[in-house]
Amino acid sequence: MSRIQLENVTKKFGSVTALKNVSLDIKDKEFFVLFGPAGAGKTTILNCIAGIQLPEEGVVKFDGEIVNLVDAAHRDTAMVFENYALYPQMTVYDNMASPLRSKLYKKDEDYIKTKIQEVAAMMKMENLLERLPSQLSNGQKQRVAMGRALVRSPRVYLMDEPLAHLDAKLRNAMRTELKEIQANFGTTSIYVTHDFMEAMSLGDRIAIINEGEVIQIGTGDEIYYMPCNEFVAQLMGDPEINLISGTLAKSEDGYTFTMEGAQKTYELPKEKELFAKLGELGLSKVDIGMRPQNLLYSFEPKEGYIKCSVYSYESIGNKSVIVAETSGLQLRMIAPNGLSVKIDQDIYVDMQLDHAMFFDAGTKGYLTRYNEAAVRAIAAEQEG
Amino acid sequence: MNTASNRLSRVIQNGLLAIYAIFALFPLIWMIILSFKSDAQMYNTTFIFTPTLANYKAVLFESDYLTYMLDSLIVSGGAVVVSVVAGVPAAYALARYNFKKKEDIAFQILSFKFAPEILVVLPLFMIYQKLHIYDTYFGLIWVYQLISMPLLIWVVRGYFEDISVEIEYAAQVDGYNWYQIFFKNLIPLIKPGLVSAALLAFIFAWNSFTFPLMLGGTNIQPITVAITKFLGTDSAHYGQLAVASAISALPAIIFALCIQKHLVRGLSFGAVKG
Repeated sequence: MSRIQLENVTKKFGSVTALKNVSLDIKDKEFFVLFGPAGAGKTTILNCIAGIQLPEEGVVKFDGEIVNLVDAAHRDTAMVFENYALYPQMTVYDNMASPLRSKLYKKDEDYIKTKIQEVAAMMKMENLLERLPSQLSNGQKQRVAMGRALVRSPRVYLMDEPLAHLDAKLRNAMRTELKEIQANFGTTSIYVTHDFMEAMSLGDRIAIINEGEVIQIGTGDEIYYMPCNEFVAQLMGDPEINLISGTLAKSEDGYTFTMEGAQKTYELPKEKELFAKLGELGLSKVDIGMRPQNLLYSFEPKEGYIKCSVYSYESIGNKSVIVAETSGLQLRMIAPNGLSVKIDQDIYVDMQLDHAMFFDAGTKGYLTRYNEAAVRAIAAEQEG
Repeated sequence: MNTASNRLSRVIQNGLLAIYAIFALFPLIWMIILSFKSDAQMYNTTFIFTPTLANYKAVLFESDYLTYMLDSLIVSGGAVVVSVVAGVPAAYALARYNFKKKEDIAFQILSFKFAPEILVVLPLFMIYQKLHIYDTYFGLIWVYQLISMPLLIWVVRGYFEDISVEIEYAAQVDGYNWYQIFFKNLIPLIKPGLVSAALLAFIFAWNSFTFPLMLGGTNIQPITVAITKFLGTDSAHYGQLAVASAISALPAIIFALCIQKHLVRGLSFGAVKG
């Protein structure tokens, strides 16, 4: 139960800089998610918080107190390692008991026994307690690694992709369970994942990490609706956002957007704040970000729709994704299941431009979007 | 027909193995046979003779054999203990820490085993004379490190490298300090490697001949050197020689049998994601 702060943390491995000036302020009792592609430095951040690695620059604070010189044992954290890091010579029971038997966090054996039974029941692995780690599957090992952390009541839980190797059903169940555990115990948790769904559903707030830098911090919705650049926009969301480059031009009473390649010009729907912002920026080259659910399609020619051909059609369970192609541009959109779609058949696509986000084509940074004020209000409310 | 050819191949296989076993064991068997022969029957009998324990009596009770044996045990055992105490931390450092010239140092340690003993023994002899450690337990244990230490460090280093560093991290987070982690979590994992390397080091040290011949004198004579005493200038007591050799092979065999169950590898597999 702690507030965790990182201030300008820089970590180098030889000549490689793993973290550049990372600053995070994780509130007490918060479920904080570190989200980013592989090799972004997410695990290194956890290691710095746990005290396993010492940053070259910057400070790590627990409840305002600088802990850089406190070793890992005395920081009172519990960590789930991505590669499990179970003790091979001990049974599952002893593995889980290990943190409760160390001198620092000593508990009596009766307490240990009830606690382990409780956690094991929650993780559905009561039958595994007498086994050795070498006799477990990867999913089971991962549950043991989680269990070893959950038997404790530390100041902060550090979890490095703890659900990555579970099968889908158990993963969903565990996701719910984790959220509930965290809500009940109120323990600050820092959770590393590269799964967008996990990040969105678990995190009170999410930090997007890339190449050792914090790109954006915010609630899931905030990041989803107002990504700070195109990279974040592409990372958040499945199927990926459509980015359409084109030219912005002023017309009599508004703005027009001319798509590159297809050479179609759209009249932008009127919104006072947006137009004011665009006027202020005075840019002409922009990329428009459209979420797949905001694209409309038709298999018959329709007024204002651009003609594309179907590039792929795949079902992802309760819905399908159509990828349409027109002059080198691929557009992803959501469709219901059970359509009979042939590859290369004609399809007509339109954009609901009143959901568009605008990015600078040069810097790839976020400019503005429709309904920005409303989105901001939601974000502010969520952050409380 | 199938079973017949199966049986035939089995007979052939076992026959060949039996022949090989006899071939491999024959020198040992011959030595045991010699140890029960009296000098009078030494040259004129092969398998049929009158067994006698006279040789055993002569070696064990009428010579200083047991003193030599004790010397060998002290020197070889001491060498292995020193190698374990100094070598395991060295292996850990070579496996875990990054420091300048790490690989060069590791190779340097291994290179101690490259030079033939006879090449270095003469300068060592002169150095030992100057240092006044010639013919002492200390001197021999020290020089035996050339034999036992590189082997131990290289084997144990490999075992340390196989252990995922996250296991140490996890134990740190669990609240253990470095010494507790080392003895509770690491030593059990390297035990198979440590035990087998120590056994091999012990056997090599026990069998060493050149170093004790040159660097040991009248005070300290390991068994390998002492055995040559049974070859007199005028007569060779083959029977007593056989007894001395046979008994000198026993400690290594007993040692190996005692720790056989630890010589099983595979304990460290499966604990971290492959």
